[in-house]
Amino acid sequence: MDKIELKNLLFLARINADEKEHPEIIKKLQNTFNLIDEMQDLDLSDLEPLNNPLELNNVSRKDENNNRNKKKEFLDNSPESDDDYFTVPKIIE
Amino acid sequence: MAQNDTLIKGWQPVIGLEVHVQLMTNTKLFSPAKNKFGEDANTLVDLIDMGLPGVLPVLNEGAMRQGIKFGLATSAKIAKTMIFDRKNYFYPDLPKGYQITQLHFPIVKDGVVDVNGKEVRIHQAHLEEDAGKSMHDKYDDRSVIDLNRSGVPLLEIVSEPDLRSASEAVDYLKKIHQIITYLDISDGNMSQGSMRCDANISIMRPDADEFGTRAEIKNINSFKFVEKAINFEIKRQIKILENGNKVEQETRLYDAVKDETRSMRTKEFANDYRYFPCPDLVPTNISDELIEDVRKNMDELPEEKESRFRSQYNLDEYEAKVLCAEKITAKFYEEVCEVTDPILSAKWIIGEINALLNKHDVSLAESKINSKNFAGLIMKIKDGTISGKIAKEVLEEMWQTGSDSQEIIKSKGLEQISDESELESIAQSILDNNPSQVEAFKSGKDKLFGFFVGQVMKETQGKANPGAVNAILKRLLSN
Amino acid sequence: MNFKDQREKFRSKAISAKEAVKEAMQKIKNDNLNIFINDFETQALKQADFIDNNFEKFKNTPLSGVPIAHKDIFCTNGLKTTCGSKMLENFVPPYDSTVIKNCNEAGSIMVAKTNMDEFAMGSSNETSYFGAVSNPWNSDLVPGGSSGGAAACVAADITSISTGTDTGGSIRQPAALCGVTGLKPTYGLVSRWGMIAFCSSMDQAGPFSRDAFGCAALLDAMASYDEKDSTCSKRVEKNFESLLTKNFGSLKIGVIKNIDSLGINTDVMQSYETSKSVLTGLGHKLKEVDFSELSSGICSYYVIAPAECSSNLSRFDGVKYGYRASNQKDISNLYMETRSEGFGDEVKKRILIGTHVLSAGFYDAYYLQAQKVRRMIKNKFESIFKDVDLIFMPTTLDQAFEKNRKDSDPNRMYKEDLLTIPANLAGLPAISFPNGFKNSLPVGGQFIGNYFSEDLLLATTHKIQEVTDWHKMTP
Repeated sequence: MDKIELKNLLFLARINADEKEHPEIIKKLQNTFNLIDEMQDLDLSDLEPLNNPLELNNVSRKDENNNRNKKKEFLDNSPESDDDYFTVPKIIE
Repeated sequence: MAQNDTLIKGWQPVIGLEVHVQLMTNTKLFSPAKNKFGEDANTLVDLIDMGLPGVLPVLNEGAMRQGIKFGLATSAKIAKTMIFDRKNYFYPDLPKGYQITQLHFPIVKDGVVDVNGKEVRIHQAHLEEDAGKSMHDKYDDRSVIDLNRSGVPLLEIVSEPDLRSASEAVDYLKKIHQIITYLDISDGNMSQGSMRCDANISIMRPDADEFGTRAEIKNINSFKFVEKAINFEIKRQIKILENGNKVEQETRLYDAVKDETRSMRTKEFANDYRYFPCPDLVPTNISDELIEDVRKNMDELPEEKESRFRSQYNLDEYEAKVLCAEKITAKFYEEVCEVTDPILSAKWIIGEINALLNKHDVSLAESKINSKNFAGLIMKIKDGTISGKIAKEVLEEMWQTGSDSQEIIKSKGLEQISDESELESIAQSILDNNPSQVEAFKSGKDKLFGFFVGQVMKETQGKANPGAVNAILKRLLSN
Repeated sequence: MNFKDQREKFRSKAISAKEAVKEAMQKIKNDNLNIFINDFETQALKQADFIDNNFEKFKNTPLSGVPIAHKDIFCTNGLKTTCGSKMLENFVPPYDSTVIKNCNEAGSIMVAKTNMDEFAMGSSNETSYFGAVSNPWNSDLVPGGSSGGAAACVAADITSISTGTDTGGSIRQPAALCGVTGLKPTYGLVSRWGMIAFCSSMDQAGPFSRDAFGCAALLDAMASYDEKDSTCSKRVEKNFESLLTKNFGSLKIGVIKNIDSLGINTDVMQSYETSKSVLTGLGHKLKEVDFSELSSGICSYYVIAPAECSSNLSRFDGVKYGYRASNQKDISNLYMETRSEGFGDEVKKRILIGTHVLSAGFYDAYYLQAQKVRRMIKNKFESIFKDVDLIFMPTTLDQAFEKNRKDSDPNRMYKEDLLTIPANLAGLPAISFPNGFKNSLPVGGQFIGNYFSEDLLLATTHKIQEVTDWHKMTP
């Protein structure tokens, strides 16, 4: 993992880190990947990936309304809002 | 060959459309909040649509049914097992920081629709959730977020790159629109955003082995703009290639005001959506029973309706097609047919009603004509109460006021005069007042018969029953 | 006081719920181990009144009148839920998690919410934004994590039961390090609705208590089919408390071949050997089973858990709730600053790992391979459970260790989860219980059972606890 890759990663994850800290972060991540990479030697080509341990069939619900809207509470709980909307710094398209 | 007609300056446009359709359901794809347009901001937001910590999605069976319906309508493969994935990206109107969608195992695959006799293949149609809305005009320095749309179920219909011209793309889009509105999959309202379209466009030399590099044009929101945007983009790409440059693979926006497409600001780094199976939703099996249940409850498709109309009501191909173009027209027609003559009704809808709709640029649903008052009018024509000419007048009035034909006829005194003795005395007085014309007629000037009919009509302000007038005049003149 | 006695005092009207709550609140106020993030005296007293006023209704519920502390990962309607993070320092959920609702209905009274590693990521409770928890046995040591506060709360005798969550060992490891009993149920037994997600396909809530009895009663309250959680499984309901005394007969218990090669501390191994003789003494048969794949679990876990967490934690963006950085030039800056300031280093590290293993070009080699390792582990368990009823092994490599441990191996902390992770990957139930005492500190051993065999795990542990006293020791 190099600096360019880390920059891209930080951007994708929307996390800031001072350039000075980059080598230390890379080192930490590299250490973890050293642990993870032990699995690369396993030949598992004949196995299906397992996403969820129980392998259930998904459930669905009836198309029925259940009103749990709490507009005022939602807006009051937000870092910034007016009476109707959540607000954020202007998004420039 | 059709392909050659579509060449522009020797270049073959290749177009594929991605159509996003908001599904008609009571509730959202993964939350029990109402799925509705035009409500006050942030009033249709469930805990789940807020993406609150700890909430979990539960699939709406209604949305699944709509997807299956579309699959059945396009002779597609319906998945035995569909899988929801997460598409990760940050945007203020995307509360969870990811969209739940279907990447590799969509609900529908390999469909086909007929566009002017050509088969256009549908690569896949998948279920996904809509984002909220961010708006930028309320404040100078702030954008505002409304999450009412967050979680609304969408079906994204992805065509193969089978389309070869802007007008063909529009026809395909209209076909999709017809299917989804026919089957109540969506209201298809493009101005409200319940049907949105992205177009993938490239150009190539007709003998080339590979497609050219494509550009994607996002969020085109009317049939007209689809045509314009594609045509603009084709011209742009031709210009680039003919200047020896390369088309960039990129996402572009169509600006309807300037009638041009322009590149969306390229980000510092390429977007990487990091799709992976959503661990909150395990694979969903779609049972044959469910598919059968959807099929059983499914409305007729346009083609099916057309052929039924032809045999049931004795219509010709053209009449059936026009009447079935929109579901609402077909429904209107059938309601009228329940009480009166199918052939006469068909002629009047195709001719007079459509003319009025076009003239005033409104839809049948918005107009004041309904199947009940219209059927009444047809019955009056059929039983000879009014003539065709008077009927047009009545229809105009009906258009304006929505009144019943009986009332209009009464209040305007438009009832046809069929009374034999009354008509005979009028006819006799016409003949009496025009002795020279009678003389001329009797000496062989047959054409004057029309003159006498016209005079009777004039006298009765057009209310005389034309059949009766003809018979009476013939009898009187042969004396 | 153990759970059974606490509940009996209420049922026999020796003590009211209100008095029980007051006692617990006093202990919470005197806590100097940093076990709690928030306490809720006013609400607790009100709830206690309600229970006392409805004595008839609550006298036979599983948790009649018993004070409880919940891990601060469960959303509580109108009451702060922080998940150990600055990001949610002031977050007040507008709804109750199913676990909270179930425990309330079962007659328990929440007195406080316990400290934890930030977003449940950690094995020592040191990643909490609210500071590390001290081990009740020795305040220089860690209690384990991520449910460190929950384990310490029961070990320090503040409440007789507490809830936790276990993604890679977060119930069992602190249970072992604090000398209490903790159960991670089968994935899908307890609803995840309202439990702040770390790794959705492994997270599972479970009970802490001094003994199997308390765990059984609390699990009776916690477990329910919940249509709000699509991964919750429909199944025949069991009453774990009454099944505690069921005679499952002589069991075949699997012990791992060559377990001494995994780097387990000799004191832990000694306790393990002693427990094996307890098991044979109870009439069970031990059978060596090969599980050479076990150590690959850790590779798989440290791909899948970060991958899911990187996505699960994307919602914390400073827009709708939680922390927002004050200095914001534009929306991009708002995200960056909010997430950089709101998350701690360990959380950020795992987000970066998870982002990397899901990104284009790395997905197959990491995420997909990890899911295949997961399949391999599950398959292995399935074949082992054809031969044995339960697997027995130590819970941890070590006993409680010192805070700020420096180790020459940078992955030492992650390796602490070596023995607990396999059950999470496969979604199997496992229980940790005190099975020794060395260096003035408890040691833990664990059973792993087949799917939905919580009754067997609890009953077997209960039998052991009838003939041993490790679970009765207090700091």
